[in-house]
Amino acid sequence: MYEFIAFYVFAIATTILFLITVMSKNVLYAMSALAGGMVMISGFFFLLGADFLGVVQLIVYVGAVMALYAFAMMFFDATKDIKEKHQNPSLVFLLGGLMSLLFVVMFSAPIIGDNVQALYPVVENVGVVENVGNAQAVGMVLFTKYLIPFEVAALMLLVAMIAGIILAGKKMDYSLTKCEAIDEEMDIEAITENEKGEA
Amino acid sequence: MSLEQFKDRNVGTQNYVKLDLDHSPTTGWCQFKQVVKRTFKPELFVGLWVTFREMINALFRGKMHTTQYPFEKLPISPRYRAIHDMLRLMESGNYRCIGCGLCEKICISDCISMETKYDENQRKEVSEYTINFGRCIFCGYCAEVCPELAIVHGGRYETASEQRASFSLFEDMLTPIDQLNLQQEYAGFGAISPNADENIKSTPLAY
Amino acid sequence: MVSTLFLTATALPEVGPAGVIIKAVLILAVIAAIAGFGTYIERKILAFMQRRLGPQHVGPFGLLQLAADGIKLFTKEDIIPQHANKFIFAIAPVITAATAFIALAAVPVFPDFTIPFIDVFVPSIAADINVGILFVLGMMAAGLYGPLLAGMAQGNKWGIIGSARTAIQFLSYEVVTGLSILAPIMMVGSLSFVNFNDYQTDGLWLVAYQPVAFVLFLIAGFAETNRTPFDLLEHEAEVISGYVTEYSGMRWGLFFIGEYANMITIGVIASVVFLGGYNDFWIFPGWLMIIGKIAFSFFFMLWVRAAWPHVRPDQLMWLCWKVLMPLAVVNVVITGLVIML
Repeated sequence: MYEFIAFYVFAIATTILFLITVMSKNVLYAMSALAGGMVMISGFFFLLGADFLGVVQLIVYVGAVMALYAFAMMFFDATKDIKEKHQNPSLVFLLGGLMSLLFVVMFSAPIIGDNVQALYPVVENVGVVENVGNAQAVGMVLFTKYLIPFEVAALMLLVAMIAGIILAGKKMDYSLTKCEAIDEEMDIEAITENEKGEA
Repeated sequence: MSLEQFKDRNVGTQNYVKLDLDHSPTTGWCQFKQVVKRTFKPELFVGLWVTFREMINALFRGKMHTTQYPFEKLPISPRYRAIHDMLRLMESGNYRCIGCGLCEKICISDCISMETKYDENQRKEVSEYTINFGRCIFCGYCAEVCPELAIVHGGRYETASEQRASFSLFEDMLTPIDQLNLQQEYAGFGAISPNADENIKSTPLAY
Repeated sequence: MVSTLFLTATALPEVGPAGVIIKAVLILAVIAAIAGFGTYIERKILAFMQRRLGPQHVGPFGLLQLAADGIKLFTKEDIIPQHANKFIFAIAPVITAATAFIALAAVPVFPDFTIPFIDVFVPSIAADINVGILFVLGMMAAGLYGPLLAGMAQGNKWGIIGSARTAIQFLSYEVVTGLSILAPIMMVGSLSFVNFNDYQTDGLWLVAYQPVAFVLFLIAGFAETNRTPFDLLEHEAEVISGYVTEYSGMRWGLFFIGEYANMITIGVIASVVFLGGYNDFWIFPGWLMIIGKIAFSFFFMLWVRAAWPHVRPDQLMWLCWKVLMPLAVVNVVITGLVIML
């Protein structure tokens, strides 16, 4: 009963928050609603008993949306509404409709083709192990059945990280914190002392 | 130290004591060494120890530095020029002012006004004496010129009041007759403050 | 507190809903009071370290200064700037305070006890979820949305700078926090605070095995609570008050309560994960030990504030990304190798 109520609370809250994210013209509202929606999604994981995934959802998306905020701060005035440029509204409408249709097809494909099996990790793949917590179960599945997707994802992140460093790191050898004045003065001092020594 | 060292204006060639600063690291290995050196040098803990030592000093060794001002006041230097005091003669208790008018004359901001008359003994009597503290600049000329040491600068520096007149009447500045025995003689220009000896301490560079 | 309702306690079977509710009320009441009282302690200790007296006129030894400050904060005019985003401006302080207390729900604050006459068992953790540490860290991370939104909503340049600093500070320390605490997690093999406590019941404290992780966690914890070496968000000398520039009255007070509650949370995590938790030690009972450890870590934060200067934002990023994160990774790798061998 409680779970029933909780599910609908989370569902309604998530839908409304993401609707605000899409509809709002104020960047601050959009971003805040996005962050709130991500937190609400983690509620579903908690409801399903996947504590670990719920917490990971919290941590990861809190950080990710924080980075988005940083960009929003750089590009927009947060206190004003943004004037959107609708150059071709019908095209946007068409693309949006197509995309949602595609998603519906993608998500409903397994239902039509085969009955969806909930791949609940402990029961299905590893076998029931007593006293195994949520985190361990996720770990077992991740490093047995889904090892290759996991490693591919890790490789992709590594590529993204290196690309980011190369793009951002053009001036990396230039130090903002080095005190050049002291160095110059010490060089002058060394020269004068040398001259004294020679004299 | 001779005077010539002070006259040398060529900045950078005097005998300055240089801080122990190294060159900024140039190579990666030097940077690594610097980081390691700074990491394991206990400088941060020295800072922690200094503050902790001061806390112990303050709490247990009675070196608390606070003067709880409205309740306790530090003695003020005799050189300080605050609200004036009119002094009395110690022998007779009469006020010292002879009504000569020099202070009124010399006052550069023209804030002293006095009226005098002859009393029945044909002596000068001060009938009105006020100082307008809205104008007084506390220059001290009145005290300096007074031939009888009758008007001096006192130590009342808390001069916030609802009315300026609270300070400016002759009777307010005059030593109360019942506190005549407590009247302090003016120590004179150049006198040191009563707690001068306590104020002498080593500069706090020995940390 | 929404999410904690569903995280029913699992470790101790006799925990009833009454115990959890009592515990939640206890946490809210006691920690909120301590968080307020923390301002008094901070002012007193900073004063002593500078050989001053600190607050001492309201009540004996100034103990009632908290009440005076509270009255002042509650009765102060509540100003919302004209061009601020009023809704976000209003909820930002609530986010900080609420997440700080939600984080405390999954943390063992006091040892468990049974109320005598009504026979209600009050657990040491309000919601003993088996991923406790991650939950607490995630909630404290979410708490930084308070400063971020506050700075962006108030339409003030200092506020914007404050929230930009919030973003970079968060992105810098978050990796270090996770990686530094990963090594003890690997050793214990659990994410639950209770297991951490039990792991150290007989053996040495974890700080003896993981000194590097402890130091890294402390540094990241200072960054997480905006304490002095890393108080970039509201450094008065640089950005007026940063994200709280336009706040006044109780809205400002909520930020403060959140900050102090976070300090206590960091203290609890440090003492449970690294410093032996609420185990008995020699002749001292467990509850005294945990309170002593939390009190010491609180004192340490104030001590550091009195002693150390603060760093620039670029120094913080340099420190976190170029020094602490590689150290944490090396620490994790070495821990893994030692566990495997």
